[in-house]
Amino acid sequence: MGYTMNAKGPVLVVGAGPAGLSAALALAGAGLPVRVVDHAPAPGGAVHRQPLPGTRATGTREHKRAFSALMAKVRAADIDICCATGFAGLDHSGAALLTGMRAGMVRPRGLILATGARELVQPRPGWTLPGVQTAGAVQTRLKTLGTAPEGRIMLGGNGPLLLAVGAELCALGNPPVAIILAGRPFGAAGLRLPLAYQVEAARHMARLLAARVPIVTGAHVLAISQDAGKLLATVQTRRGSRDIVADLVGLHDGIRPNATGFSANVPIPVEQAGDCHVALGARAALADGRRAGLALAARLGGRGHGALPHCAVLAHERAAQARLAKIFAPVDGPKLADLPPDTILCRCEGRTVADLRNLGPDCTARQLRLTGRFAMGACQGRFCGDWVAQLAGHADLGQPRLPLRPVAIADLLTLEPDTPDGETR
Amino acid sequence: MGGIIHWQGRKIAFRAGETVASALLRAGIPQFGQSGTGLERGVFCGIGQCQNCLVMLAGRPVEACLLQCVDGMNLEPQQWVTQ
Repeated sequence: MGYTMNAKGPVLVVGAGPAGLSAALALAGAGLPVRVVDHAPAPGGAVHRQPLPGTRATGTREHKRAFSALMAKVRAADIDICCATGFAGLDHSGAALLTGMRAGMVRPRGLILATGARELVQPRPGWTLPGVQTAGAVQTRLKTLGTAPEGRIMLGGNGPLLLAVGAELCALGNPPVAIILAGRPFGAAGLRLPLAYQVEAARHMARLLAARVPIVTGAHVLAISQDAGKLLATVQTRRGSRDIVADLVGLHDGIRPNATGFSANVPIPVEQAGDCHVALGARAALADGRRAGLALAARLGGRGHGALPHCAVLAHERAAQARLAKIFAPVDGPKLADLPPDTILCRCEGRTVADLRNLGPDCTARQLRLTGRFAMGACQGRFCGDWVAQLAGHADLGQPRLPLRPVAIADLLTLEPDTPDGETR
Repeated sequence: MGGIIHWQGRKIAFRAGETVASALLRAGIPQFGQSGTGLERGVFCGIGQCQNCLVMLAGRPVEACLLQCVDGMNLEPQQWVTQ
């Protein structure tokens, strides 16, 4: 086909968070043309989600300074960042389909995937109700608006993010009514975390304790129901079960790389960077973005490449995150297999535990998808794939096909097949 | 500059740079419509991964959490043809 050889377009970096921007800088430094796309309205990614104009940012001073420094370098390197522009995938010929503001087909000479993390949220009865969001969604709202949502907010699931979001809610004047953690993280083990982690944890805990936020550990959010315009979360604690009334429930059970649908079998050089590669957080993302950018530059014959720097930051963050995971290890929670049959697993198409059971015991991943319609909805299994695979005894459900996000047929119709400079529109 | 969007004909104020999802939530509207299987739908992931907050703009489904408000924008819940 020869398309790959003809791909002269700028390297495409998907994701304008710390990993993507850091990779873009490394590529630009090697003399390669780069274009960054992100489906969000502004660069920054989830960690540096930008406040609305005229709104005070919620992060710490160091946090803001880190992002300003990164953006200053990006501007100095004159890197093209296309926001409100989604990446729908790369086809067999090496053409990348972009949607949104800068929609079109491009033929990049290489690709950096820096699509960040996705939140792991366990299915529970009622987890699809309006007003039940991921804790990350609640945090995104705080960061952009600079104010807390009104009403009673409950946070539940597991992991340090719940404490961070809870502390931010306290700072904004609406402390959560409760934080439910499946783990029991408050022990001496925390003292073995790196200092930066301890400082951050201490800051969060000081806010939560000052606001007297009830933090229930070793407890599990079993189900959520709706009653007269409010949400009722059933929580199983060591002392029995109790109901918590809330207007907004933020769930979070962990973080995973958001690498859904990316196959290694593509016709142009690709590197994954940051959380979409290994979910280790923002510090690691900067370092990993640089590593990925230099690696891709080397593969594309950019100038100045040589031995990749030894990445002490990555090893350090990997060890810290592993320790954190151990500290937050869940205490004997409810089993996925014990979920009530009518519990929804696939949010997109409303497929339930019973639907899964009805497929029989020896269902292949293919049957789960094609007959069961699991992981076939618009989210491509990002939110049900882990659980369906686990329940059905599979490692995974296989990679979904392109596009990685819904694309309007009208957008496809406007695309021209090819042009000399490798781009359309 | 902020402004007004129209949700099923109802006027909703938005702040400059705000997404449709954010403006609707601030206006006390957590339910943005229904899925094809009749499930109530709204913001879930908030960052364009789950497709749970789709709304209709000029006949097309769009993620409300990624869509920036523009003054005078008309938005509707997704309509499903059922048998």
